[in-house]
Amino acid sequence: MAPVIWILGWAVSLIFIALAVLRVNKTIDEKAVPFMAILAAGIFVAQMLNFPIIGGTTGHLIGAALATVLLGPWAAMLIITVILIIQGLIFGDGGITALGLNILNMAIIGSLSAWAIISLVPKKYEMTGIFAAAWTSVFLAATACALQLSFSYAIDPAFGIDGTIAIPTMLASHAIIGLGEGVITTGIVVFLAKVAPETLKMRVPSEKGAGA
Amino acid sequence: MIERKYLIASVAIIVAFAIGLVAFFAFSADKPDGLEDVMEDNGIEEGEPIWQAPFDYGDDYMGALFAGIIGFLVVFLVLFAYLRIVAKRKSNEEKK
Repeated sequence: MAPVIWILGWAVSLIFIALAVLRVNKTIDEKAVPFMAILAAGIFVAQMLNFPIIGGTTGHLIGAALATVLLGPWAAMLIITVILIIQGLIFGDGGITALGLNILNMAIIGSLSAWAIISLVPKKYEMTGIFAAAWTSVFLAATACALQLSFSYAIDPAFGIDGTIAIPTMLASHAIIGLGEGVITTGIVVFLAKVAPETLKMRVPSEKGAGA
Repeated sequence: MIERKYLIASVAIIVAFAIGLVAFFAFSADKPDGLEDVMEDNGIEEGEPIWQAPFDYGDDYMGALFAGIIGFLVVFLVLFAYLRIVAKRKSNEEKK
């Protein structure tokens, strides 16, 4: 990535992380703490399990939509950020310079887009909405990543990938990976609704003044 | 401090991960993910890391299982400690 792109990525991410921290500080419910930590740890291990898609490529869960469905967008942003930081610092998965963009794409765009879809879809079609939210979170995160690679290439071809290649290939593979995200996210929510319905009541609405 | 149901959930997640890892090594381990595939096709390589991470995800089943459990514990402990401090501070402020 061209330096200006990853520096911008860090700048935007830091603003949203600060907002997420403030929001979580205000709305956190002590009873939800162990669930939030276990959910994050579970998303971490789930991200290690790539599943095959067509063309010899694989995909894995991001988990932003799952966390958003269960906890709301700000807490989701925070826990996906922590997961990405630990992946980068402890496991060398994703560089430090790229971390800002990874946070922007997966934690921020992933969570906010999932939240937008969940909020738009009527309660009657909740599960369809969750599936759509999960798919959209992956697709938009990949779109953002493809655009960053393209801008990077436009600035300096030594960095990034030509947009005419990066955008269609990233979008095509992630349109399919998004289906996997949709199936896993919806499956986990259905499972939790059966075995631990109380976990579906921890979501913090994003509306002003809403409490935990 | 942590209810029994959360310990059971943690064990269940690790067991599910251990099973999922079998499928991962059977079908996915040697294949790139969506972004890696695009990068490989275009001859892009990740640069030299400026930070040398102490662990990796392991090359075999046991290595990956170990990495997963370490990661699970680190993510859990970091978030649990942080969120607990934040939640305690909030409840103390509300009591005032």
